[in-house]
Amino acid sequence: MSFESDLLVWLPHLRRYARALTRDQAWADDLVQDTLERALSKWHWGRSGNLRAWLLTLLRHRFIDQLRARREIAVDDETAPWQHLPAPSNEVDGLLLRDVERALYRLPLEQREVLLLVAVEELSYQDAAKVLQVPVGTVMSRLARGRERMRALLAGPVAGDATSTRAPLKVVKHTP
Amino acid sequence: MNEPRDTSANAPENDDDARLLCALVDGELSGDERAVLLDRLAHDTAAAERVEHYRRQNAALRQLFPLPSEGASLFVQPRTPWRRLGLAAASGLVLGLALGAALPWQALPWGMGQPDFAQRADVAYAVYVPERRHPVEVTVAEQAHLLTWLSNRLKQPVAAPPLGEYGYALVGGRLLPGDSGPAAQFMYQNAAGTRLTLYITPFPQRKLALQLLREGERRTVYWANQGLGYALSGPGDEARLRAIAVDACNALGGDASAWSG
Repeated sequence: MSFESDLLVWLPHLRRYARALTRDQAWADDLVQDTLERALSKWHWGRSGNLRAWLLTLLRHRFIDQLRARREIAVDDETAPWQHLPAPSNEVDGLLLRDVERALYRLPLEQREVLLLVAVEELSYQDAAKVLQVPVGTVMSRLARGRERMRALLAGPVAGDATSTRAPLKVVKHTP
Repeated sequence: MNEPRDTSANAPENDDDARLLCALVDGELSGDERAVLLDRLAHDTAAAERVEHYRRQNAALRQLFPLPSEGASLFVQPRTPWRRLGLAAASGLVLGLALGAALPWQALPWGMGQPDFAQRADVAYAVYVPERRHPVEVTVAEQAHLLTWLSNRLKQPVAAPPLGEYGYALVGGRLLPGDSGPAAQFMYQNAAGTRLTLYITPFPQRKLALQLLREGERRTVYWANQGLGYALSGPGDEARLRAIAVDACNALGGDASAWSG
């Protein structure tokens, strides 16, 4: 039984989360690689708990560190990787994916990451709280605010209106 | 709240309500809570519309971020729901069994005589081979730099034997954590895009003649010589991999003829 083979199971999920967080393939690959190296070096037998949540936590820490290093990337910064995406043109349930994507990257980071963990990775609130190292109540408020914000943005007449959300990415210190 | 037009997003009571509606969408309500809320939604059309919108957001987000499929053949989805895997990982049993069923060990079970580095090499192959990050050949200058860097980190000179005779060119190298210090992984690729990796790590315990590790469709030939363990990993073709390993072993100062087959 090897921890490394367990790791392989979650590799596609790590890749997906990294891509969604960064919206930059090369950055995402780096993040996943860093996470794996860290996981391989930090693992010790007898460690208990949820492997996937632990891996996502490691990945998120790398991401936050790298964001700090890149400092001051605003959500609508012209140079942010997510400003230069080939926009998907299809539609799901009456929502244009292009608009959903744009709205998602207009959310403050703390709302976006919880939305990705719950809606895309399908984590329970409790596991999302573990990954984000915040209380479950905080997960719920951020999620609710994120979804409401998405709804408002998607209902808005011009999704590209820059004046509405010029919020810089806030890097939140992890407090236990 | 200074913005009269946008009342829904920030008012605290709306926030509470949004949390409740979210919990419904995310399956976080108890049976009773759920029943009460569904009753309410039957006549509260505004709330019902919000729930519907959240669901559509979820569907769109999942569509936006599909699970990456590269290397999918290597990745086995466990059959147990993932929420239970914490327990499984803690016991070290259930997931192992699920994987064991899907990726049967064809060689000796782990711990039966193989050095750990052979296992690690095999897994590192599986982990990194699907990546398409460094598709270009490493130039001679870069190769020298790579070898110097890796030799410094391993605190012993390491070399990447040329495998051009078999159609493989060196496309990159990386440093990995191993169980007895760091490990170097060299990646080779041929014109068809098939990749091999050579894993090198300190292994002072003893000298090892060439041996084979089988894991699913992957094969690893490993040996140890002069304080270093080597493992050459690749896809299925055993005979060819052995032939390449023999050459690599000789090129790296070992004596492959000690291998009896």
